[in-house]
Amino acid sequence: MEIRINSVSKDFFSEGKKIKALSNVDLTIPANQIFTLLGPSGCGKTTLLRCVVGLETPDSGEITIGEEIVWSKEKNIFVPPEKRGLSMVFQTYAIWPHMTVFDNVAYPLQTRKEAKDEIRAKVDKTLRFVQLEGFENRPATKLSGGQQQRVALARALVPEPKVILFDEPLSNLDAKLREETRKELRSFLNELKITAVYVTHDRIEALSLSDTIAVMMDGRLVEIGTPKKIYFDSDHRFVADFIGQANLINGKVVAIEDSYTIVDSSIGTIACQKGPDTLVGNGVTLCIRPEFIKVIEGDGSGGSNIFRGRVESLLFVGDAYEGEIIVADTRLIVRIEPTAIVEEGDEIALSFDPDHCFVLSK
Amino acid sequence: MLNTRTALTPSLIAIVGFMTVCPVVMLLFGSFSEGIGAFGTFTLKKYIQSYTDPEFASIIFNTVIFTIGSAFVATLLALFLAYLNTRTNIPFKFLFRIISIIPMMIPHILFSVSWVLLLNPSNGLINLFLRQILSLENSPFNIYSLGGMILVEGLLDLPIAYLILAPAMAAFDVSLEESSKVSGASNLRTLTRVTLPVLRPAILASFILVIVRSLASFAVPSIIGMPGRIYVLATHIYRIIATGFAADFGMAAAVGMSALAASITLIYLYRYLTSESEKYVTISSRGYRPALIELKNAKYPLFGIVALLSFVLILLPVLVLFYTSLVPYSMVPSAKAFSMMNGKHWLAVLKDPISLLSLKNSVFLGIVGASLGVILSIFVSYVIVKVRTPAAGVLESLSFLSFSFPGIVIGVGFMWFFVRTPLYATIWSLLIGYIATYLPYGIRPLTSAFIQIHSHLEESSRVCGGGTFYTLRRIVIPLLIPGVVSGWILMATMFVRELTLSVVLSRPGTEVLAVQILRFAEDGLWGKLSALGIMMIFISSTLVVIASLIGIKLTNVEEESR
Repeated sequence: MEIRINSVSKDFFSEGKKIKALSNVDLTIPANQIFTLLGPSGCGKTTLLRCVVGLETPDSGEITIGEEIVWSKEKNIFVPPEKRGLSMVFQTYAIWPHMTVFDNVAYPLQTRKEAKDEIRAKVDKTLRFVQLEGFENRPATKLSGGQQQRVALARALVPEPKVILFDEPLSNLDAKLREETRKELRSFLNELKITAVYVTHDRIEALSLSDTIAVMMDGRLVEIGTPKKIYFDSDHRFVADFIGQANLINGKVVAIEDSYTIVDSSIGTIACQKGPDTLVGNGVTLCIRPEFIKVIEGDGSGGSNIFRGRVESLLFVGDAYEGEIIVADTRLIVRIEPTAIVEEGDEIALSFDPDHCFVLSK
Repeated sequence: MLNTRTALTPSLIAIVGFMTVCPVVMLLFGSFSEGIGAFGTFTLKKYIQSYTDPEFASIIFNTVIFTIGSAFVATLLALFLAYLNTRTNIPFKFLFRIISIIPMMIPHILFSVSWVLLLNPSNGLINLFLRQILSLENSPFNIYSLGGMILVEGLLDLPIAYLILAPAMAAFDVSLEESSKVSGASNLRTLTRVTLPVLRPAILASFILVIVRSLASFAVPSIIGMPGRIYVLATHIYRIIATGFAADFGMAAAVGMSALAASITLIYLYRYLTSESEKYVTISSRGYRPALIELKNAKYPLFGIVALLSFVLILLPVLVLFYTSLVPYSMVPSAKAFSMMNGKHWLAVLKDPISLLSLKNSVFLGIVGASLGVILSIFVSYVIVKVRTPAAGVLESLSFLSFSFPGIVIGVGFMWFFVRTPLYATIWSLLIGYIATYLPYGIRPLTSAFIQIHSHLEESSRVCGGGTFYTLRRIVIPLLIPGVVSGWILMATMFVRELTLSVVLSRPGTEVLAVQILRFAEDGLWGKLSALGIMMIFISSTLVVIASLIGIKLTNVEEESR
């Protein structure tokens, strides 16, 4: 089911100050996709999710789920959360401590007064799906964090909703478990083919789970795209920096060739991808990811996109060195292969493919 | 909830504020008035009269010795027990939990009476026994003394001291001691230079709290002090209003002001000390439990002391009362005594109209008072936990206000108020006084229950399709029930045994159990007293059992409804 959000705004008042939690958000979440709202804390992503589910009311705008308008300031429509037919997995899991696993999962069906044997059959099927068979009569509090998380997922899945919302569901798990659960969740959601709206501040989660990512900042939507588009070819400085480690280099366009744009920058002349709407003479910011910068043999004179610099620091992180290289007073972060023979203080030559360097237009 | 929420906080502040501030304000005004009939005309006469009384100095002296002595007894015993429990391999550690909780269930007045029955100079059982076997002329012990009062009050306040000291002792970072020993200090030097100084704030806090409690204590001073003509502030106030020809509530209020002032000072001191003790919190990585000290040969002798204390604190009072209720007059247990046992005292109590009335009143106050008190506590706790505005903070302080002061002083304050209303001399005046004073007993368990209900638990139910009332019925109420039940139990047991407020507010027709027991004690009717006392314990326990069963039943409804 598609979700349409039309110019939704919401303000909060905190200690007498007005904070714009959402300002004029326009967004269409396509049906049967895993759609992620990504952003730093306080960017409004959770508020937006809570507006969709009905736990918050926006100050203005309209929200439509499928064909039904669930909120409209103008038409004075508010459908309460229990009538919206959505499911949600909370950050705290919100497992009811006074109930067994069975009761927790059966609850959404009980609210609809379904027949008891039908409830049992559906709960059993869902618990099998999330691999919690045999846990039915366990008190919900006697489960590990990962298991509680799966109870919360089972409870969200059991009514077979068209839309399921996730509010940072993995943030309470420890690092290793989070990685496993992420993979599991991905395969669950792929199997189900439902609309999933996923809120997170974790870029790895967003990149690995989503079909589409919407990046938010200060209550506004900044950029929407596939994970690869967001990572490799973002238009925004903020997005490029937020989604991963990035070297941002300022410069001026000096020529636009057939396949590349030539930029005069603080580290020298760079050939890079052609950006949209860039003209000769424009000031631009370029983005190059540390993993695309290569250390090359010799002094590398003669080639293009080759820069010489001094190794300022070298941090061994297992699968690579994280190096800081000073190139003409500009500090570049470079991921260097762990087998490379470099030392702090060395003069080295770096190079990168123009296709991996892109222009940030905003 | 959003709309009612805004109106809820001010109306609760009005209700709770009225109930707790009113007695304090009335006490203040009353102390400057001529008498209960002449309220409002300012005079210093009552202050001059009460503070120039030549006996007043000795009353203050007694009060100071009594409170400080009790604090010493309770704190030292508690330190001893807490150390044994947390730091040594003493056997049967569950006894320590029992010692720290069960004595709170035995009404203080009955505990005091049982010690009178054991150690009074004319026919105390231990005295009689020692006189028989040692053929003494006079009784070796006299409970009717400051020493006797201190012993009994100290034992009564032992649990509260233990509950402060045991956690402090358990949280103590042993590496502090170890580093002292590594630096070459002996065990004794480590104890005096490291262990005790680090625990000092907790020890002082326990000391001060016991002083506050014994200053407010009425059971021990009235049952043990008054027969020996040893008066402290609480019994002095009682004497002014309850004995002699004319009750002088003006003078009672004037004397009460000094008890009030002392309590306020001590509570500030206590708050300061507890905040001070947080500075002593040492940063340490938990998970490493130090080896317990091996007691070796001292293990069983030390355990013997603990066992004896448990016996003295828990079983002895009930046994003595039960025994006394069955024998015709005080005698040392013997074959003869057992052959003479009968139900005479029990029948006499059951035929005594005032005792029956007091039974009825106390049961009513227990059940109705606790129920109303818990309902009020639910709303107050909701505001304290979920609304959390500055006004909610005000409400929290207000609800703990009159609890901090001596009950008899609050009683005098309420008297000044009730005498002006139709509530005077009705059971409702007692009910209001009880709820106002014991509100924290309901609020404490309910705030913890509300804290447990994270807003996500309600929201999740809404998203799952449960409407407001469905969510209330299946999520909020079931999660509150444990808090409601413990709040109800605490309030009901306090109300059934309530003495200090009641001696002021109870009038003919509104007698309650503890006041009737005090009357029996004043008349030396120990047999009837013991029978009524056992009935009181029985009623309390029955209420506890019924409330727990209802709680279990209500929680299980959840499982049956699926």
